[in-house]
Amino acid sequence: MRILVVEDDALVADAIRRGLDKAGYAVDHVDSAEHASSALAAESFDLAVVDIGLPGADGLTLLQRMRRNGSALPVLILTARDGLADRVSALDIGADDYLVKPFELPELIARCRALIRRSRSVSSAALALGSLRLDLAAHRAEVDGAPVNLTRREWAVLECLALNAGRVVAKERLMQAIANWDADIGANAIEVYVSRLRAKLGSALQILTVRGLGYRLDDAG
Amino acid sequence: MNAPDDAVAIGAPSIRRRLLFLLLVPLTALLGIGIYIDYRAGAEAIRSAYDRALREDALAIAAHLRDEDGNGRIDADLPPQAVAVLRADSVDSIYYAVRGADGALISGDADLPTGAARAENPSFRDVDFRGHAARVARYATQVGATDVVIAIAETTRKRGAATTRILASVVLTDLVQLAATLLLIWFGVRYGLRPLRALGAQIRQRSPRDLAPLDTPVPDEVRPLVGALNNLLATVHASARSQQRFLADAAHQLRTPLTGMIAQLELLERDAAAAQVRERIVALHQSSRRLAHTANQLLALARAEPAANVPENFQEIELEALVGEAVAAHLDRALAARIDLGADTAPVRVSGSAWLLRELLANLVDNALNYTPAGGSVTVRCGRAAIEGAPFDGAFLEVEDDGPGIPEHERERVRERFYRMPGADGNGSGLGLAIVDEIARAHEADFSIRTGSGARGVCVRVEFTAATNVRNLSGS
Repeated sequence: MRILVVEDDALVADAIRRGLDKAGYAVDHVDSAEHASSALAAESFDLAVVDIGLPGADGLTLLQRMRRNGSALPVLILTARDGLADRVSALDIGADDYLVKPFELPELIARCRALIRRSRSVSSAALALGSLRLDLAAHRAEVDGAPVNLTRREWAVLECLALNAGRVVAKERLMQAIANWDADIGANAIEVYVSRLRAKLGSALQILTVRGLGYRLDDAG
Repeated sequence: MNAPDDAVAIGAPSIRRRLLFLLLVPLTALLGIGIYIDYRAGAEAIRSAYDRALREDALAIAAHLRDEDGNGRIDADLPPQAVAVLRADSVDSIYYAVRGADGALISGDADLPTGAARAENPSFRDVDFRGHAARVARYATQVGATDVVIAIAETTRKRGAATTRILASVVLTDLVQLAATLLLIWFGVRYGLRPLRALGAQIRQRSPRDLAPLDTPVPDEVRPLVGALNNLLATVHASARSQQRFLADAAHQLRTPLTGMIAQLELLERDAAAAQVRERIVALHQSSRRLAHTANQLLALARAEPAANVPENFQEIELEALVGEAVAAHLDRALAARIDLGADTAPVRVSGSAWLLRELLANLVDNALNYTPAGGSVTVRCGRAAIEGAPFDGAFLEVEDDGPGIPEHERERVRERFYRMPGADGNGSGLGLAIVDEIARAHEADFSIRTGSGARGVCVRVEFTAATNVRNLSGS
């Protein structure tokens, strides 16, 4: 998998390149929006990590240009400015995620992995999380190649958690996912499905309960 | 937060008082003079009317004098009926005397003096006759070839009564006029100054964050004042904006090199083979993280200051979402420290700066995680809070832990910048609660530190009570 890093600060760019390289990604680095445009035109990437504060045309302009050209490439925006306006406009323009400096490398790598997984799940209708494999078209789950028998509601909960692996998914959102199958669900139903999922998946994946908020499926990498 | 209303009133008398003083005092004096002049004119008219009557009487007496013999002996040919008619008056007494050139009495009252001759004829004077004030007319004439002087006196009761009547009616009218004038001026001044009072009320009602120019129509006289005020507001606004820009630039300049440093140290930490080198890199990594944290906090502190708070950055914020973000962001740290981090939220919105409130929550959760031992729990809450005496609900944010707590006597001090409780570990900067305090102030919110439920731990509560921040927002 190939990632384009657009960052003008040499030290930061070098750290990102090394970090992603260690995590098993092929990394191309450019230091301006112009070079990024030519790289994007010449090669194909799975993800772009774009710093907003670039010399010349900034990261948001680059992103805008990409989206105007019809590119659906997932983009993770980096910024040293933490103003709300930046975040809002980045997401409005079509950024897939947003990370404020200074960040920790593992955080950056986790976000990159999640973005790539999501975009691949759309194109291939399959999703892999550690030993768990989901066939999104056939609604089938496998752990270490062995099929896991899930009800439709259990599948809906697992799919929603897996597509957002590493993030807290609100209980309300899981309820909405189930509501597609059944309009009449009590609030406690989610707890029941999650505990059944935990039993069926065993030690393959951990579903964390976040008290008062929802659940988080651990991103096993 | 609001300064007392009379803070600037020292030494400046009110315009209303000045206007009333400057109008009422001279007007009262003028009306007083008017009353005097009216009285004088009225009294003069009465006197001349009565004097004319007295003169007629003197002429009537003269008409009855004859020098029948032509020898200079004057006969006062006054029949008793005529005298009776002359003297007939129910109110005043009338006296007369006719004297010859030598002063000998020819007819009438012997004790009535004729007085000295004057330029005009007949002449009048005021005398005191038989114990009463009287008016005397002196008329010198010739009967035949003989000079005679006629004096006729009338007591002044009728004149007095008439003068009093006139005085009463003139003064009463003038007094009514004076009272009406005073009243009109008083109301006029009050009404005339109404735009000023309205302007004052408008300024008072504004939120302290509102730096938009005043745009209500004001009278010409006040326009320069409002103009100056608007210029001041614009200046404050501009400096707030430039400070905001400066902070954003400073943040950028600090964060990028810090990011590179931290990320490189992290990589080095993994690569370092020798345990000794590794140890030093780990220490460097940790301290550069702390540096980044403190730099962030200093920026937060600077941004929370009123001067940097550009009002248009305030917007409607759903607190539930912020709480969710804060918990999610600290979840891994809580897991690593084996602390149960959770939320308990109800939908509620406030008007504020999302960035600042996010920073506020981050600092509170960070603090709670720092001071809660493994196995403990930290809960972040938000919801509506009733405000005593207000027709609308406020909102609250709360972070509660079940750690060792903050002793009562330390609760004020921990809000101070760089203050750290005795026995606190080396990781904190001592800025966390100072930031919370500053951000709460920027949102006109109350920030309190209490003991947690079950008499354990700390419960920090931020309550949004200002009408401008919660009214119409917490509905539905």
